Amino acid sequence: MSAMTLPIPVIETDRLILRGPKESDFEAFNAFGESERAKHIGGPYPRFRNWGGFLTTFGHWALRGYGMWMLEDKATGTPAGRVGMIYHESWDEPELGWQVYDGYEGKGIAFEAATAARDYAARHFGLDGVVSYIDPANTRSVALAKRLGAAFEREGTVLGHSCHVYRHPKVMEAA
Amino acid sequence: MMLPTPLPVLETERTLLRLPEARDAEAVIAFLLDKDRAEGFGAAENRGEAWRWFALNIGHWHLHGYGYFTVEMKDSGEPAGLVGIWNPEGWPEPELGWVMFAGFEGKGLAYEAALAARDWAYAVLDFETLTSNIVPGNTRSVALAERLGATYERTYQNVHMGEDMLFRHPGPDALDADGSVEAYA
Repeated sequence: MSAMTLPIPVIETDRLILRGPKESDFEAFNAFGESERAKHIGGPYPRFRNWGGFLTTFGHWALRGYGMWMLEDKATGTPAGRVGMIYHESWDEPELGWQVYDGYEGKGIAFEAATAARDYAARHFGLDGVVSYIDPANTRSVALAKRLGAAFEREGTVLGHSCHVYRHPKVMEAA
Repeated sequence: MMLPTPLPVLETERTLLRLPEARDAEAVIAFLLDKDRAEGFGAAENRGEAWRWFALNIGHWHLHGYGYFTVEMKDSGEPAGLVGIWNPEGWPEPELGWVMFAGFEGKGLAYEAALAARDWAYAVLDFETLTSNIVPGNTRSVALAERLGATYERTYQNVHMGEDMLFRHPGPDALDADGSVEAYA
C-alpha cells in the first residue's frame, strides 16, 4: 500500500460519527493535549508537540492501515474526542485507545465510540482481543475498560511510563 | 485531503524526489537516531520518536499538500536524503529544508534536490518566497543556503530548535528558468 493512501472508514453510532481527522479539528486536539487531562497520556504537551501528534495520526493510518478516529458529535458537528487503534513503533501490540474532550465526559460517549471501534477493528483490521494501556491513576479510564469487559492482565510500559495492560474480550468469538 | 494530484515526482540529473513510502522508514529512522548528523534537523531520542516523525511527515503532505520528499538515487534506488517544504505550527514561515543521509554528503546532491524542490514550490505551489532555518554552527547548511542564493535575514527563537538563523531565498522572479540565481550566473 502506498504511504499516501488514507483508508479511513467512517462509522456512525447513535450520537457520533467516527471519521478521519480534519484540519479544523486541530484546536480541539491541541486543547486536550495542553490540558491537565493529558497527564494520563504523558502530557500535558506544548502546542508544537500537539501539532506533531495531530499530523502523526494521518501517517499512522497510511502506514498501519488503521489508527485513531476523530469523534464528531452528530448533534453539533463538534469534535468530542478520539478513539481507535494505536500501534506506534515502540508499542508492544496495537491498543484500543480513547480520549474524551472537555464537556463530553460522563455521557457514555467513550463507551459508545470504543465499542464501535473495537468491533470494527476486529472485523476489518484483524485486531481482536486487543489491549488498552492505562495509567492506573486514571480511574475513569480504568472504569471504562472494565465496563467494556476488559480485564487487568499485567504491568507494562508505554512511552517510557509504566502502565497497566488491560485485555479486551474477543469480538469474533469462535468465528 | 489536500494531496496534489497526480502525486509529484521531481527528477534531477541524479535523483528523484518522490513522496515518502513505507520502505523509506528505516533509512529515515537511522538518520534521526544519528545525533551528530540530525542535530540541526531535530534528532530523535529513540526509535519510537523517529517513527513518529516519519508518520508526521506523511501527515504534513496530507494536510498541506507538501512536505519532505524522499530523495532517491536514480542509479541505485536508495534513499539518499530528505528535501522539501516544511511548515510546522509555530514556524515563522514555510521553509525549504534539506538533509542528506550517511554516505550521500559532499556530492552536491542536496543542492541538486533543493533547487528542484524550490522550483516546484514556486511553479506549482505558487509560493512567492521561501526561507530556510539553520541552527548556528551548521556551516555546511549555511554554505548550501548561500550557494542557493539565500541570504541571512535574522536570528530568532525557534519553537523547536531554539536559537535559529533565518535565511531568505531569492523569489521566483529573481530566478532564471533553470532555477539558478541570475546574479550568480
